[in-house]
Amino acid sequence: MAETALNSVARSSAAIGPTRTRITLTRVATVLALALIWEIVARSGLLYEDVVPPLGKVAQAFVALLVAPATYHHLGVTAWEVLAGFALGFLAGVAVGVPMGARRLFGDAVGPYVDGFATAPKIIFLPIAMLAFGIGIASKIALAALSAFFPVAIVTAAGVRQIDPVLVRVGRSFRLTGWQMATRIYLPAMRAAVVTSMRLGFGLAVVGTLLGEIKLSNAGLGFLANEHYSNFRIPELYAVLLLVFILAVGTNSLMSRLGRRRGVKAPAL
Amino acid sequence: MLAVENITKRFATPEGTISALEGVALDVPKGRFVALIGPSGCGKSTLFNIIGGLVDDYAGRVLIDGHPIDGTHHDVGMVFQEESTFPWLTTVENVAFPLDVTGVPKAERLERARRLLALVGLEGFENRFPAELSGGMRQRTAIARTLAFEPKLLLMDEPFGALDEQTRLLLGDQVLRIHRELEQTTLLITHSITEAVQLADQVIVMTYRPGRVKRVVEIDLPRPRTSEIVSSPEFGRLVATIWNDLREEASLGMKDIELHARAGH
Repeated sequence: MAETALNSVARSSAAIGPTRTRITLTRVATVLALALIWEIVARSGLLYEDVVPPLGKVAQAFVALLVAPATYHHLGVTAWEVLAGFALGFLAGVAVGVPMGARRLFGDAVGPYVDGFATAPKIIFLPIAMLAFGIGIASKIALAALSAFFPVAIVTAAGVRQIDPVLVRVGRSFRLTGWQMATRIYLPAMRAAVVTSMRLGFGLAVVGTLLGEIKLSNAGLGFLANEHYSNFRIPELYAVLLLVFILAVGTNSLMSRLGRRRGVKAPAL
Repeated sequence: MLAVENITKRFATPEGTISALEGVALDVPKGRFVALIGPSGCGKSTLFNIIGGLVDDYAGRVLIDGHPIDGTHHDVGMVFQEESTFPWLTTVENVAFPLDVTGVPKAERLERARRLLALVGLEGFENRFPAELSGGMRQRTAIARTLAFEPKLLLMDEPFGALDEQTRLLLGDQVLRIHRELEQTTLLITHSITEAVQLADQVIVMTYRPGRVKRVVEIDLPRPRTSEIVSSPEFGRLVATIWNDLREEASLGMKDIELHARAGH
């Protein structure tokens, strides 16, 4: 039947584009090229050796970092601050973002404030957070939560607005309860937006936490980096940055995998 | 089975009150296939929403088996004009959806969903996502999903409106088969005369704004039918009869739209 032919056309169009292996190879090549440039600059003496240490020293410092038990204490503190802050910011962001997207009045009234505050660097709230919560973990959690809140609220509101209204009518025609509407229609229809808001919110929670730690703290990866910096242990500083970078890339790809699992967007036919 | 009594619906607009429907009354007896046809702007989608219970604040009554209904009702299953399959569910999960939310056990609901997919000619596509299907296949999935709800009345609003004429004729055959096998009472809202005559036992012609029932045409073509019926002289005669009624209304509608476009400049 004609339908079957149409279907095979729809499927084959997905195969266009570069292959996975070529993408991976290009990625590896990019890292190698950057490392090479780094090493050339380090050995050329153009910049102070302290600013751009040779990669061997950074690698040594990285291994030392990985075997030091203290590292895991700091990592644990930072992880707790990021996760707790992100969780709070995410929940608050969803709680504000859903009515912002669903109710015209609320969205029009509150939206501009949220958008305005979203662009302000959250570090300016650190002094207040410290006054309120002290220099320990709590003030970092507050800063992380504040950082995560805004992108989550904005993306969630946009996600609610883009839900196809006919899907809501289908739900009503099947007489779903309010809870079923939320969990069976709204939530899956917003899945992409929720995952995007999680990625953005999580990234900014990490930024908020590390900024807070670098500014004033007694534990965490930001504190560790700042300690190395103050004592001019530059390879050690790079080792901490490398660790943060690897952790960030790892969590990010984990989260985007969450979004890719299901729910292909229908092409216009 | 379905009785619509004296339905009137008015909308308030900035330019004043518009009467969308004025005293509309119709009956769909059990097992019959009735098509409602009218020009754009005759309020047929409003009537669809009223019968389906998605619109309130109207005058008149909708009755199922003699009982007035208010709001959405288990006996009325709606198929929408727009693309309405859930893109995050496979075909079989889409069809099983109304059974899932009413608590039918998994094995049973999947079994019933598979049977319905076979009925609409989609066996073999159970585990595909809507994005992998054609527009016609997605609408058939939506029809199967509504049938899974086991409504007494299947209420469809231009389900194939977005598809081309040839696909519509072929899908018409599937709809005829569904109607024959399930003896499903059906009310189809459409703007296609050929679709109405090809499928229905009775065609109700609506007037342009306000929407009223202008004429009821009995389609006495023999059943079982297939799309081949379109070449018969009887078919041509019925299409011509309906077009005679509809032409006047459609040109009224067109004039109105052109008038609005002119006023807008």
